[in-house]
Amino acid sequence: MKLIFYSGGHDFENLSIDKNLLELSNKESPQITYIPSCSYLCDQDFIEFVNQYGKFNIHNIINFPIDIPYTEILKTEVLKSDIIHLSGGNTYYFLKYLRQSGMLSELKQFVKNGGILTGLSAGAIIMTSSIETAGFPEFDKDENDENLKNLKGMGLVNFEFFPHYKNSKRYDREIVSYSRSHDSPVYACPDGSGIIVNNNQLTFIGKAFCFFKGKKFIIK
Amino acid sequence: MQVAKKIDGPASKADNKPVKKTEKDIYKKFKQLNGSHPYKKTTPDAFIDYPARFRKGGKVRYFNFDLAKEMGLIPKDHPEVVTEELTKSIIQTFAIIIINEFDEINNKKFPEDEIKDGKYMATRYLQLQHPDKKGKNSGDGRSIWNGQLKHSGQVWDVSSCGTGATKLSPATSKFNKFFESGDPSISYGCGYAEVDEGMAQALFSEVFHKNQVKTERALVVLEFEKGYAINVRAHKNLLRPSHFFTHLKQNDLESLKSLLDYHIDLQRNLEGWDKCPQGKGKYNFFLKNFAENFGEISATFENEYIFCWLDWDGDNILMDGSIIDYGSIRQFGLFHSEYRYDDVDRFSTSILEQREKARYIVQCFAQIIDYVEHGEKKSVTKFKKHICLNSFDERFEEVKNTNVLFKMGFSPKDCAYLMKYDLKETKEFRKVFSYFERAKSKKGIVKVADGISWDAIFCMRDILRELPQMIIARKDKVTDEEFISILKSNYATKADLEMTSYRSKMIKSFQNIYWNLIEKAAKHNKLPFDKQVLAISMRSSVINKMERVTGDSISIIVEKILKQKNKITSGEIYKLIQDFSELQTYKPHEKPKLQKETKGLVKQFFEIVKEHREGL
Repeated sequence: MKLIFYSGGHDFENLSIDKNLLELSNKESPQITYIPSCSYLCDQDFIEFVNQYGKFNIHNIINFPIDIPYTEILKTEVLKSDIIHLSGGNTYYFLKYLRQSGMLSELKQFVKNGGILTGLSAGAIIMTSSIETAGFPEFDKDENDENLKNLKGMGLVNFEFFPHYKNSKRYDREIVSYSRSHDSPVYACPDGSGIIVNNNQLTFIGKAFCFFKGKKFIIK
Repeated sequence: MQVAKKIDGPASKADNKPVKKTEKDIYKKFKQLNGSHPYKKTTPDAFIDYPARFRKGGKVRYFNFDLAKEMGLIPKDHPEVVTEELTKSIIQTFAIIIINEFDEINNKKFPEDEIKDGKYMATRYLQLQHPDKKGKNSGDGRSIWNGQLKHSGQVWDVSSCGTGATKLSPATSKFNKFFESGDPSISYGCGYAEVDEGMAQALFSEVFHKNQVKTERALVVLEFEKGYAINVRAHKNLLRPSHFFTHLKQNDLESLKSLLDYHIDLQRNLEGWDKCPQGKGKYNFFLKNFAENFGEISATFENEYIFCWLDWDGDNILMDGSIIDYGSIRQFGLFHSEYRYDDVDRFSTSILEQREKARYIVQCFAQIIDYVEHGEKKSVTKFKKHICLNSFDERFEEVKNTNVLFKMGFSPKDCAYLMKYDLKETKEFRKVFSYFERAKSKKGIVKVADGISWDAIFCMRDILRELPQMIIARKDKVTDEEFISILKSNYATKADLEMTSYRSKMIKSFQNIYWNLIEKAAKHNKLPFDKQVLAISMRSSVINKMERVTGDSISIIVEKILKQKNKITSGEIYKLIQDFSELQTYKPHEKPKLQKETKGLVKQFFEIVKEHREGL
């Protein structure tokens, strides 16, 4: 299983994770599919994504929004990609449409078949067992406008992910409190940091913190 | 005058940003819009001058800050909020109603202090729905011209729709009597306009304007009781071909020449007109320019699936080819080229007939120029092969060819290169493209809400958006079945999608030329093929966006805005329209600058557009 969790930030902050991703793919010019969290304004976000990987001379990139009708033909090609990237955005909206379109199970199968799945912020949260971390802290949370009740993610890993983390008391208070009532560890990464899962091996890039059973641990 | 002392209703409410007393003068330009206009000097028969009075109860629903700044009506640094002072100026200037023939005959008295100082003209022009066919009694039936503004070397005409019934209204012509403004016994002809018309005009015209489709623009929407409105429009020149045709039909050479000279002089302010000779040569310069403009706009209408009812009267279009009067304007999601608007006693032209009508208008202008130059009016048929029609055809072809490359996703530089060195292949691609674009359902002609149509079955935006992605993924062409599956619209039935040998041939041809053109551009740009395809894919996904606005979606969005009107200010409505139109632009590498406050509603509009993306 090959997964990468991006916290967020500018493309230049994520260069190190990007390099690791390309090493993981073991291809000079891998085929990448970008799945935006929402089709609204996704063309412009796609351009930014292309520019990010253009630096590595990668030009085989497809944009595949899943909240609007798409053809099975393109979907078949998407699932043949080397890398599929789930973008940032509203986690609830994204999960709702991944589930509704049937892509959630297709992506699990993609990972099982050896494809690399990467996610940034909302996209990364969805790869874990639960998207509850999108619902706090109060001052920086996603709105559940979709009124999504089933908050189960893809469950590809046995940890939860907290993106855009800032090493401060007000963040810690809420994550510590959350971790008290949950069994899985919560890995919190500031922008520019991330986690690489290569089969059973976990590698942290940049700063990372773990919240578990009401306690905070510095990983890196 | 007792005007605008009380400003009521949420949309009129000042947005709490104080305008300093010293800034009161910043609205002084509004005072220039007092009915005076140089057109009145062209010929006395060209218009009817009406006295006017203040109309009470007006609320500012929309004010176009961007346009007002361009016109110099407000300073460039004016905040985008409708302040109390600004509201006052807008209402004082535009909340007017004419004192018409009905009022005079019935000896109606109005308080002195409510009567405006100036007189406001309703202009005469030809309209095909009027029985006389000469334009003697037709023209601005519910509009008056507020005046003309000069700013930064540019001239702006401003007119208002819904300011009362003039004697040029169709109702007066039909029933041979004068009507009271707002007479409930007649609808079209009572002299009033409605707020939804104004909002639709504002929304549609801003989308078109941002995509370089020539158009009038909405400056103000003032709402009155019962949903009535005064809708103020502006453009650099509000003359229509039909203004000229009325003199032509009446063989009034003197008025025709006077109007033509006035028009040419006005155009001299515009880019490219500095080369216009001062002497007689000016007429040919004008004619060539006019023919090119009309060639360009008719190609643009086809390219963008814009339905603008063009006919021999030249009523729904301005002299530079800009759209005027959004009453019947639509933008289709697919090339529904057989749609016709049902105007009770006649059907409109279709998109494909617009070109011939535009060409005929140019031919009429060749007749006008000859008449003005030689003093003798010849039959219009004598101008069937006039050289200006070549200019029309050449420009039409050029715009169509460039547009098909643009829609594919080529950059302007690549379009220019391919037009120069691969015109033959570009034309071949256009032909194949057109085959799919014009394919119709086997169901035949069907009735729609306001007319008839014959459903188009393929969505060209979908294939242009997805094909480069398939090339990136597969490095190969798609099969015939896959091609149709990407291209098919919701209008297509199983029978419509049958694969014939000819269709199969066209699919192969489409893909072969598509690849060839990309390869040629890649070679020219010294780029690897995959990089060129990716560049095309990124541009094409914006240009051929799935969620492109249609006439149907505009109507629903306007309804939604009006439902919210008591909750949002006119400044917020302006921001909404700006943000929404920004989302509809074809700027492949620019992220729309959206505002936090309007994000929620704009997103809802986006869903509406998505739902109606293939409609009329």
